Amino acid sequence: MQRREVLRLLATGTVLQLAPAKLFAVLQEARNLVQAHTSRQTLNAQQYETVKVMAEMIIPSTDTPGATDVGTADFVDLVLTEWCDELDCKRFLDGLGDVDSRAQSLFGKDFLGCSAAQQADILTALGEKMLEESKTSPAQPARLRGYSYSPSFYAMFRRLTLTAYYTSEAGATNELHFEIVPGEYQGCAEPAPVEEASEHQ
Amino acid sequence: MSEQNTFDAIVIGSGITGGWAAKELTEKGLKTLVLEAGRPIVPEQDYVEHVPQWEMKFRGMGDRRQLKENQPIQSTCYACDEWSSKFFVNDKEHPYTTGEGKPFRWIRGRQVGGRSIMWGRQSYRWSDFDFEANLREGIAIDWPIRYADIAPWYDYVEDFVGISGEALGLPQLPDSKFLPPMELNCVEKMVRSEVAKHFGGERVLTIGRAAILTQDHQGRAACHYCGPCERGCITRSYFSSLNATLPVAEKTGRMTLRPFSTVHSVSFDSKTRRATGVRVIDSKTRSAVEFRAKVVFLCASTLESVRILLNSSTTEFPNGLGNSSGELGHNLMDHVSSAGASACIPGFEDHLEVGRRPNGIYMPRFRNVKTKYPDFVRGYGFQGGAHREGWMRGIAQTGFGAEFKKSLSRPGPWRFGFGGFGECLPNHNNFVELNKDQVDAWGAPTLKIHCAYGENERALRKDMAMSAAEMLAAVGGKDIEPFAADDPPGFSIHEMGTARMGRDPKTSVLNSFNQAHDVKNLFITDGSAMVSSSCVNPSLTYMALTARACDYAVRRMKKGEL
Repeated sequence: MQRREVLRLLATGTVLQLAPAKLFAVLQEARNLVQAHTSRQTLNAQQYETVKVMAEMIIPSTDTPGATDVGTADFVDLVLTEWCDELDCKRFLDGLGDVDSRAQSLFGKDFLGCSAAQQADILTALGEKMLEESKTSPAQPARLRGYSYSPSFYAMFRRLTLTAYYTSEAGATNELHFEIVPGEYQGCAEPAPVEEASEHQ
Repeated sequence: MSEQNTFDAIVIGSGITGGWAAKELTEKGLKTLVLEAGRPIVPEQDYVEHVPQWEMKFRGMGDRRQLKENQPIQSTCYACDEWSSKFFVNDKEHPYTTGEGKPFRWIRGRQVGGRSIMWGRQSYRWSDFDFEANLREGIAIDWPIRYADIAPWYDYVEDFVGISGEALGLPQLPDSKFLPPMELNCVEKMVRSEVAKHFGGERVLTIGRAAILTQDHQGRAACHYCGPCERGCITRSYFSSLNATLPVAEKTGRMTLRPFSTVHSVSFDSKTRRATGVRVIDSKTRSAVEFRAKVVFLCASTLESVRILLNSSTTEFPNGLGNSSGELGHNLMDHVSSAGASACIPGFEDHLEVGRRPNGIYMPRFRNVKTKYPDFVRGYGFQGGAHREGWMRGIAQTGFGAEFKKSLSRPGPWRFGFGGFGECLPNHNNFVELNKDQVDAWGAPTLKIHCAYGENERALRKDMAMSAAEMLAAVGGKDIEPFAADDPPGFSIHEMGTARMGRDPKTSVLNSFNQAHDVKNLFITDGSAMVSSSCVNPSLTYMALTARACDYAVRRMKKGEL
């Protein structure tokens, strides 16, 4: 059974109509799948926590869910384990190491031990470095921007964080109001009134 | 030959032209065998257009390692993504080679429906600017038909397909029988009127003419704007053989559709000088099967059809069946693209799009229409459109935190992009041949493709980038980025021309009805038949030529002349 199918069954309550033996099997399978998906395979405990904290700083939980809520660190681990080639994976892990080195040299502790303000300083510095690197690397045509792979660790980190968030069900539906079947096309719509209302609150 | 292996007609291929041949021949009463090399597709199970990103393992980034290992060529196509890569072949099973220094990208789909499942759906009529071009310029050979010959057949297929679009009355781009057009968005409307103002009415921006329904039509539902057509369409709102023609053929009760049937060659009787049927390799059992019929329609795609004929040599035709002219496999063309420009369009921030329109803008050819352009012959059209930037813009930004998150929840600035599709000239030296020492996974000899663009195509590309940038500047675009990549042929997936039509059997493979000069009961109605390439998307013309050829073949059969 596909993970997708299992989750759908769980979500719709269909499993409750199954015979107990089969229900057990389905739940067991679901647990295995969820576990397989969440158990770390590439990141060690400290790296995993660092990814989690950095991602939550970029996309914090506000009135809508944040990066942690949608399992960003698990997605990053999956991508490093099953998607990246060796070079990308090394670049990413080296980049995480560099985050701790920066923290050590600036504040005398690793990233996770820093205060929120110190962590924000480090993210700001990483952003400045990313901009610097994008100036020296060959220009990216706008049509490819964001789609192709950037050699910068922080760009890679941001790409994975934003992807994990905005393609999650919570991110896509709560933040972007994504609908699978819009049912119509309007080329010149005014922003939805509900959005306006929330802005004035 | 057993009764069950004998048919009135055999159609090789179930894609956009095979589906039409199947529909037309069965409706005209012929017991028809449709052979498809790939697997069957069950829309309810195989279509995935409504599976959201969060249900995909890599969230739409694609299974990079699988793609690199099994689909390094196919995955260069935008439509071959985490959802729809299953509609593209495994490159390892379908090898081909290319001439030295002449890369060619061959994008293929092997399943019932073929590439009509993932095609771009843009549908345009050709005009006499196209049909007369070779004659006027003394290039290659003349088309044996003119617009008047094909116009009623455009009408005929459009009635069934359903093409949405806007009538413009332009001589270089005849209007179809349109369903209502999709809407242009605000920025596209602005670009349309500003370009009209600045370029003397010569450059016209319109909505793409697309085989996507804007109202219910022929038992199929109007588009619901979910977006990714290349993943299938459960409401059958865009045209594919699977969505439209094959179900009609099925309903006649006269179609036998046989998937997993790789055609090895066409068999030929040297006494009657007729094709007698086809030899098939069962893709699952690898066993050989033979089928017989009175007439054979090759609709396997430009390169596959010619591969089958090159592999069907006989004593009479040592260089491929129906190749007394020596032109079989030659004159391969593909539209020249990968050039244009994009820009940021300031303003319009209080407007957005609702729904995902699976269609863009079109700007018909404007070079060499009223006045001769000095740098090249023929011309190009632009596709593209305007969209607001999405959350991906946040990758290259440095912000983080609640404000940053809030900013990305709203659409970003508008960008407008033009991408050209230009005519490719026919050239005898662009050709394919069989590899003697390399076979595919089913033991059929593979192709070696020799194809490269020439001076005219390069000049078109340069002009695409410049004219697109010039228009974007005129309409107030900022951050204008012209581009002109050096992509080799194959990137436009409009390959055509390898068994061209013509009046003279000495210089062409097919006559004016897609009938092989050398083998009267053999018809080729896919892109192989094209004598020149126009600059507009070719599928609608393939469909019209197929319906026309079927009508001709059945009329001749009834008179006992086939």
